[in-house]
Amino acid sequence: MSITSDLLRGHTDTIILAHLLKGDSYGYEINKSIMEKTDNKYELKEATLYTAFRRLEQAGCITSYWGDETTGARRRYYSITDIGRRVYENNKRDWEYAKILIDKLLKE
Amino acid sequence: MENKLRDYIEDLFKDAPKTRKAYELKEEMIANLIEKYRDLIAEGKNEEAAYNIAVSSIGDISELIDSLRESSVLTMDDPKERRKSALIVSAAVMLYILSLVVLIFIEEVLRVDNLGIIAMFLFVAVATGMLIYNYMSKPRYIKADDSLVEEFKEWKARKDSKIDLSKSIISVMWTFIVAIYLIINFVFGIWHISWVIFIIGAGIEQMIKAYFEMKR
Repeated sequence: MSITSDLLRGHTDTIILAHLLKGDSYGYEINKSIMEKTDNKYELKEATLYTAFRRLEQAGCITSYWGDETTGARRRYYSITDIGRRVYENNKRDWEYAKILIDKLLKE
Repeated sequence: MENKLRDYIEDLFKDAPKTRKAYELKEEMIANLIEKYRDLIAEGKNEEAAYNIAVSSIGDISELIDSLRESSVLTMDDPKERRKSALIVSAAVMLYILSLVVLIFIEEVLRVDNLGIIAMFLFVAVATGMLIYNYMSKPRYIKADDSLVEEFKEWKARKDSKIDLSKSIISVMWTFIVAIYLIINFVFGIWHISWVIFIIGAGIEQMIKAYFEMKR
């Protein structure tokens, strides 16, 4: 499990960008969908998630705004930018390529 | 229980810098955590268990908080800018000195009337323009964050720059007075009375100071 989570952590940014491709979202919703997609096997730590948000925002891949919830705490939404889309496409390509290489290397 | 969650996050942020960024991150975390907590309760977890799961999902945020601190450090002292500013000021001072050399040279050696004064004022005008440009183009303090501390720093920087402005105006004025003193003496030879200009200068200096004091 530790190799898996290390591998996944290396792709936190791309995972977040992939989620935002479908529309604006906020921290908990993104994490919840990660859990659902992985059958509750994987969940980002909040610390990892927010660090990734800051990093992506600084790189211009995402922008953020505050929701207008009237009751309870306000959510901070993120949306992907054109730069973010490009970064996502690049990272995805890189991953596909790495996957093929690793498969070849690990073959018996 | 939700208040307990809030308190827990507040406690995590107690050493964080008091900036808007830190405050927003805190609010964001609280909102998400409370929603997670509510979902856990809806799933049938009891309050204690839901609280524990929510808290344990946070992880180590000390690095994140540290990064907030770094981003509020200002980058005002650019060595390149400082070197440029030093160069402009020294060139301007050099022009002030040269302006007198030119005056003396043209008046005494070439013996051309008036041309020397014109040349001198030309030099002085260029030098003064350079000093003003240097002041205007100096980087100001820009707010790194919308916190009180930042606002204070900005206010202070503005106040300091106003003092700087009055100082540079006064120094330019004195240079002019010395120049005028020398010109009228060389041209009209009225050494016995021309010293009055320094008293007038002292009066003007007080007026400039009073003006800036009033504006503050």
